[in-house]
Amino acid sequence: MDIVAMHIPDGYLGPQTYVILWIVMIPIWAIAARKVKRTLKAKQIPLLALGAAFSFIIMMFNVPVIGGSTGHAVGATLIAIILGPWAAVIAISIALVIQAGLFGDGGITALGANCFNMAVVAPFVGYYLYRFISGDAPSSRRRVVAAGIGAYVALVAAAIVAGIMFGIQPYIAHTASGQALYAPYKLGVAVPAMALEHLLFFGWVEAIATMGIVAALAKSEPELLQMKPAAKPLRWLWAGMAVLILLTPIGVLAPGTAWGEWGGEELDSLVGYVPANLEKVGGLWKAAMPDYATPGVSNTMLGYLIAAIVGAALCVGIGWGVGALLARRRGGEVGSAAEASPDPPAAQAG
Amino acid sequence: MSSPCPCCRPDITPAIPRRRGGGRSLARKTADSVARAVTDVLQNEELAALPGLLQRLDPRIKLLTLGLFAVTASLVHSVWVLIALIGVTIVLAAASRVGVGSFERKVWLSAGLLAFLVAAPSALRVFTPGTVVVPLGPFSLTEPGLMGVATLVTRVVASAGFALLVVWTMRWSDLLKALSAMRLPDVVVATLAMTQKQILTLLRTVEQIHLARESRTLTRGSARADRAWVTERMAFVVRKSMKTADDVYDAMLSRGFTGAMPSLVRLRMRPRDWAWSAASVALCAAILYVDRMVGP
Repeated sequence: MDIVAMHIPDGYLGPQTYVILWIVMIPIWAIAARKVKRTLKAKQIPLLALGAAFSFIIMMFNVPVIGGSTGHAVGATLIAIILGPWAAVIAISIALVIQAGLFGDGGITALGANCFNMAVVAPFVGYYLYRFISGDAPSSRRRVVAAGIGAYVALVAAAIVAGIMFGIQPYIAHTASGQALYAPYKLGVAVPAMALEHLLFFGWVEAIATMGIVAALAKSEPELLQMKPAAKPLRWLWAGMAVLILLTPIGVLAPGTAWGEWGGEELDSLVGYVPANLEKVGGLWKAAMPDYATPGVSNTMLGYLIAAIVGAALCVGIGWGVGALLARRRGGEVGSAAEASPDPPAAQAG
Repeated sequence: MSSPCPCCRPDITPAIPRRRGGGRSLARKTADSVARAVTDVLQNEELAALPGLLQRLDPRIKLLTLGLFAVTASLVHSVWVLIALIGVTIVLAAASRVGVGSFERKVWLSAGLLAFLVAAPSALRVFTPGTVVVPLGPFSLTEPGLMGVATLVTRVVASAGFALLVVWTMRWSDLLKALSAMRLPDVVVATLAMTQKQILTLLRTVEQIHLARESRTLTRGSARADRAWVTERMAFVVRKSMKTADDVYDAMLSRGFTGAMPSLVRLRMRPRDWAWSAASVALCAAILYVDRMVGP
């Protein structure tokens, strides 16, 4: 089985969506060009060209996953780690233009949407998550783990954004009889479908490839993994997370339940019966905030927003905990290595 | 006809016989896909050099008008008008001598089939309620569902057709000229030009790496070993890319590069370019008018 990377072809998004994404991308490209010019100076052309060429080439490698299946990585987080997130915006956008213009992969009208997903969402989420988990003075192992988590989450985030783009099409463009004019699935189907395939397969391909490359570079060219000076500490991660949290009430637009997440009553209405085992185990777990509703809050939108804030806070807390745990282990290793070493580093050098 | 220089043309003939028993190895699979990508680029350049209708047009006009057709395809609502737009792509492919059979095969297999597979379940009543036209119990198909599938597939095929006409009838160098003439910053055009050359160079490196592994491997390794090997090679490509960037920059400096990039592009509109522009705008306007008359 061979699976290709995520591209939205022309025809799936209506003009209301792709025009807005082109308009959104123009200032992002302008800011990225200004930032890159300031940090990379005259060297920018060959460095960006090679970065773009690499982000194209990485998609050609078949990465073995499980059961004989292979997949292609996008490499967005890796490019952002090596070049910085703003340079990654330019490099990946150029790679996408070349894929569309030279190989016919991706479309003309959907180019803005593809650049937004793969050249903005993925590198920024991946890069700032990498920085957040790896900390200021990361060990090689912590860098590898941080890069893997960053790459996995970044690709899933980009897939969810693509799922939202697909999922809003039936709401904004349909005929009087309900016929879809563009992507046909509503948010309740499109978002879980995109998220699930990336959570279960593509995300792992991206994480495996990124971790392997970062591990190899940490051994041979650690200077390539140095933090880029243009990066402001975590500000963009927080800003991006705040925007996503504010956008979560979009989920309320979707009627019904996400595809495959039906409860007993919904299954009964859909197929006419409830499987016996589902009925037996369906009520075993009582969620604290069922259906993303906040107990005591009657406003659905507000309840969704609070659920998003609680969920994000839990994820940040877990990520922080993993990072702190790794840092403590690293501290222990350094401490034992220092105790085992008979001479201080200066004496060894001398 | 100008073809890429011989040094950029990799040996795409498989040098290693296929492994006995079982399918292709990981190395062979990657080497084959790389060779296919390079072959596509070379074939596109050859098609773009043919003396056809679209190849003779000013690259700016070609890019803008084919883009206009793609936007028109995204605005149309009627399946019948979308089928007419697919007809326009076929006529343009024939007039540009790119081979209608291979053009349609490429469009339908790469875009149409995927769109059909993605959209087909949406014809079920569970996804798109409406008048049932094919009663199959829980798998009944509705009229708006089936029309939605037909609309998406025809729209995707028409759009992919116009995008493929850009790729097949425009040399990469002409596309860069068009972008430069359309006031895209020179630094972006220069980066695009350099990226294309570096992609071909790196593709050749990747192909050689994989063929070398194929020729030195007797038995198939574990997935874990394969993963380690692949990611090590990817890291090698990163290192090579960064080193090449330094070398290219040094070479640019040694040739007197100061950061300024004067554009040498001088494109002139000819009568046929004006005629084609007017015909394209009129055709797109007529298509949209008819669509509003007959569309849902």
